[in-house]
Amino acid sequence: MKKLVSVSLYAALLAISAWAPAAAQSTLDLAKKEGKVVWYSSISLRVAQNICNLFNSKKLGVECVLHRDGSDKLFSRWRQEAKAGLHIADIIHTSEIGHFVNLQKEEALLKYRPSEADKIDPNFMDKGGFWAVVRASVYVPIYNTMRVKENEVPQSWVDFLDPKWKDGKLVHAHPAYSGFVSIGLAALVKQFGWEFFDKLAAQKPRIVQSAIDTTNFVVRGEALMSVGGTGYESFGAIKKGEPVKFIYPKEGIPFISSPQAILAKAPHPNAAKVFTDFTLTKEVQQIFANEGLYVGHPEVSYPKGLTPLKDLKLMVVPAEEAVKMNKPVEDNFRRKFGV
Amino acid sequence: MARIQPQRSAWHFDPTTPVWIASAALLLVLILGPMYFLFQESFLLPKEQGGGWGLGNYIEAFTDPLYRAPIVWTLIISVSTSALSLVIGSIMAWAVARTDAPFPGLIRIGVLASFVTPPFLGATAWVFLAGPRQGWLNLLYRLITGAGEDSYLFNIFSMTGVVFAMVLYIYPLVFIVVNAGLNNISSEIEDAANIAGAGTLRTMATITLPLVMPALFAGLILAFLEAMILFGTPAFLAIPARQHVMTTQIRAFMQSQEYLVGLAAAYSLPMLLAAVWLLWVRRKALGRRGYATIGGKGGQRRPQRLGLYRWVLFGFCLVPLTCSIVLPYFALIAASLMKTQGYGLVRSNLTLENYRFVLQNDAVWPAIWNTLILATTTATAGALIASLIAYISQRRLVRGSQYLNFLATVPLAIPGIVLAVGLFAAYTHKPVILYGTLWIMLLAYLTKYLPVAYQTSNAALMSIHPELEESSRILGANRLTVFKDITIPLFKAALVASWILIFLPSLRELSSSVLLWTSDTKVITVVILHFYEEGRLEYVSVLGVLLMVLTMVIVALSYRIVGRDFMKA
Repeated sequence: MKKLVSVSLYAALLAISAWAPAAAQSTLDLAKKEGKVVWYSSISLRVAQNICNLFNSKKLGVECVLHRDGSDKLFSRWRQEAKAGLHIADIIHTSEIGHFVNLQKEEALLKYRPSEADKIDPNFMDKGGFWAVVRASVYVPIYNTMRVKENEVPQSWVDFLDPKWKDGKLVHAHPAYSGFVSIGLAALVKQFGWEFFDKLAAQKPRIVQSAIDTTNFVVRGEALMSVGGTGYESFGAIKKGEPVKFIYPKEGIPFISSPQAILAKAPHPNAAKVFTDFTLTKEVQQIFANEGLYVGHPEVSYPKGLTPLKDLKLMVVPAEEAVKMNKPVEDNFRRKFGV
Repeated sequence: MARIQPQRSAWHFDPTTPVWIASAALLLVLILGPMYFLFQESFLLPKEQGGGWGLGNYIEAFTDPLYRAPIVWTLIISVSTSALSLVIGSIMAWAVARTDAPFPGLIRIGVLASFVTPPFLGATAWVFLAGPRQGWLNLLYRLITGAGEDSYLFNIFSMTGVVFAMVLYIYPLVFIVVNAGLNNISSEIEDAANIAGAGTLRTMATITLPLVMPALFAGLILAFLEAMILFGTPAFLAIPARQHVMTTQIRAFMQSQEYLVGLAAAYSLPMLLAAVWLLWVRRKALGRRGYATIGGKGGQRRPQRLGLYRWVLFGFCLVPLTCSIVLPYFALIAASLMKTQGYGLVRSNLTLENYRFVLQNDAVWPAIWNTLILATTTATAGALIASLIAYISQRRLVRGSQYLNFLATVPLAIPGIVLAVGLFAAYTHKPVILYGTLWIMLLAYLTKYLPVAYQTSNAALMSIHPELEESSRILGANRLTVFKDITIPLFKAALVASWILIFLPSLRELSSSVLLWTSDTKVITVVILHFYEEGRLEYVSVLGVLLMVLTMVIVALSYRIVGRDFMKA
């Protein structure tokens, strides 16, 4: 009798232990069968490659294949492929929330709740469950320390309208070429209204294509200040030793998220799930943080010189609103700024 | 001069005709394929207008007042750029090919170096040099005159700046074409004029100039079309000058959240019309006159003696070269040696680290390799095809050959970014999917650069009198033999020019590559652009310098292999 009980107990334990991890392993097993995950990412190439290589070094039986390009080009690339009936990308990651809102409307995204979702700050997860914000940055102005005295630095967004900054001393990127800028401007319009926009146009700032150009201009002194650029790109310049510093206007700075989602027609959906989980682990989130980006994982430590998110006053534009404001911002920019 | 027209016998079937037909067919497929898909795209309406088919894109493109100014500005810029390029390029070509101006080899190398510089790289360098606030030339000006920080001498962010920066990298196109044309004119005719009493200028105006007309027109058309579809330079310089041109507007369409490809395609229509109009004008102007000077009676090329004026001419030639290579590459080399961009050219800011980084970067060497393979293959295939097509068209070997002329020029009128959309659609159909391979890029480059080689070959062929070929045929040779043994040797300079005209621009092609590359098929310009987008101007500068060094090495090697003709073309 004792033997029967122990044997059946043993058998029961065996059955349970076989079943429990089997449920969790199925995604990874399926992923192994798929063999690779194709990651379309707009984070800088060096960082993207780091992450991909790190994933491959884990030897999970899934290979990370990277295609890195600028946000807009990545998106048009995916569109082209989809139009031709080619489904190559598994995961898409850009800095434009608009892409994701539109993709979701077209039912092109796969709903997935990553394993780390409970840890992540809910502001970094899509309420609908279609995307996760694996990294985020801010639309923050910078000034050239060799050319602008510290007591002249604007304390408020309104200070940028001071006539002494007229005629090419400021540099501004074009919303049609940069989703980042488009959302940043939308946030400013939401806060200050369209008159702010008009007065800014009257300052006749130097117009450049995209946010990185504003950083370059200020770094070289071709402009004295930018009216907003990509936080992490500027951080990179500061880390490099360029003569620039952040300006933190007292009303706050727009918060720009970089979402990542699995595509509905992904050829390797399970591998994509495994990779998505990977990008939200502390290890990878820390890699983002080291670049000067903000992440949703609470255990990450930020580099020296980067003001933590909680110490910043943020202007947040909800996704749907950002998408709706895109065209008005672009059209008005055209009319008021002249190009 | 009487109209030269070879007789086409109705009774005799030339067994080599299939070759010509095949070549024409190849051209049709190569060019019509992408055009068709683009055309189709322009009629597809975006969701906001209800989807489906219609003229909506065309209506929006040409009735919205916001989109009219770029069309006007593009026209102004293209006319100015092509006119200036024509003048500069032709004078320099004449100096090198027909006069005893000193150091012709140096001038040729300089022109080639300008030709191989990606225009956006040149524009970047000119921002370093002539940005109104921090441009080095302006800093120098302030140093010399003691002027204040807000004053400047040069402002590259102006429409003048745009035209300036464009001319610098487009005049080489004119140079190469006109040079090839001038090389085909024998001196006897000029000698005859001199003997009859005409001075140098008179000879040039009444004899040389008319004879070189086909080449001049070819150069003008190429320069105009190139200026019209250029994106990089206006993006860098015109946007800060607060003015869109058509290509930057098109790019804005394609970058919009709705991905307005149809609108972009429709908006390209005026460019196509401009190309058609130019070709028509050329036909009217060159018309029925003959330009053949290479007849069966021998010929010789002797330089015209200019006396002391040769030095004036040389000085004139140095100006564009200084502006397109010396100054920009000085700026690029300087930028490539700087640790930070903000502290400028000071001792403590110099480093070789950027070179070390780039040379060890994983993406760089495969990209260089891809670039070289693509450029060589495209150039070889393209030069051959272009000559065949030009031959067919000039000698009217197939019915409807004159339409080949138009077809072979059409891709020149389509901006690279729009063309890439057509190419993508054309060559990404199951079961044959070329996307992701170097083949699609080869086809893209061929489609883009065939027209340029074709124009050169066409112009050159106009100067070869058919009587040489006809004598050969009378003796029994079929057309292919004639082509091989008679035409090609006479045509060699143009053939080599065609090869160069495809090879060198292929090295710097960006606008189509940027939509078609995949991680295995990156080319060097894509790598440069990616560094630029990450704000690493120092790496951009390193690669710019490396690209130039690489090109010069290749040119030197080709000089060894092909011989004097390479440089003469």
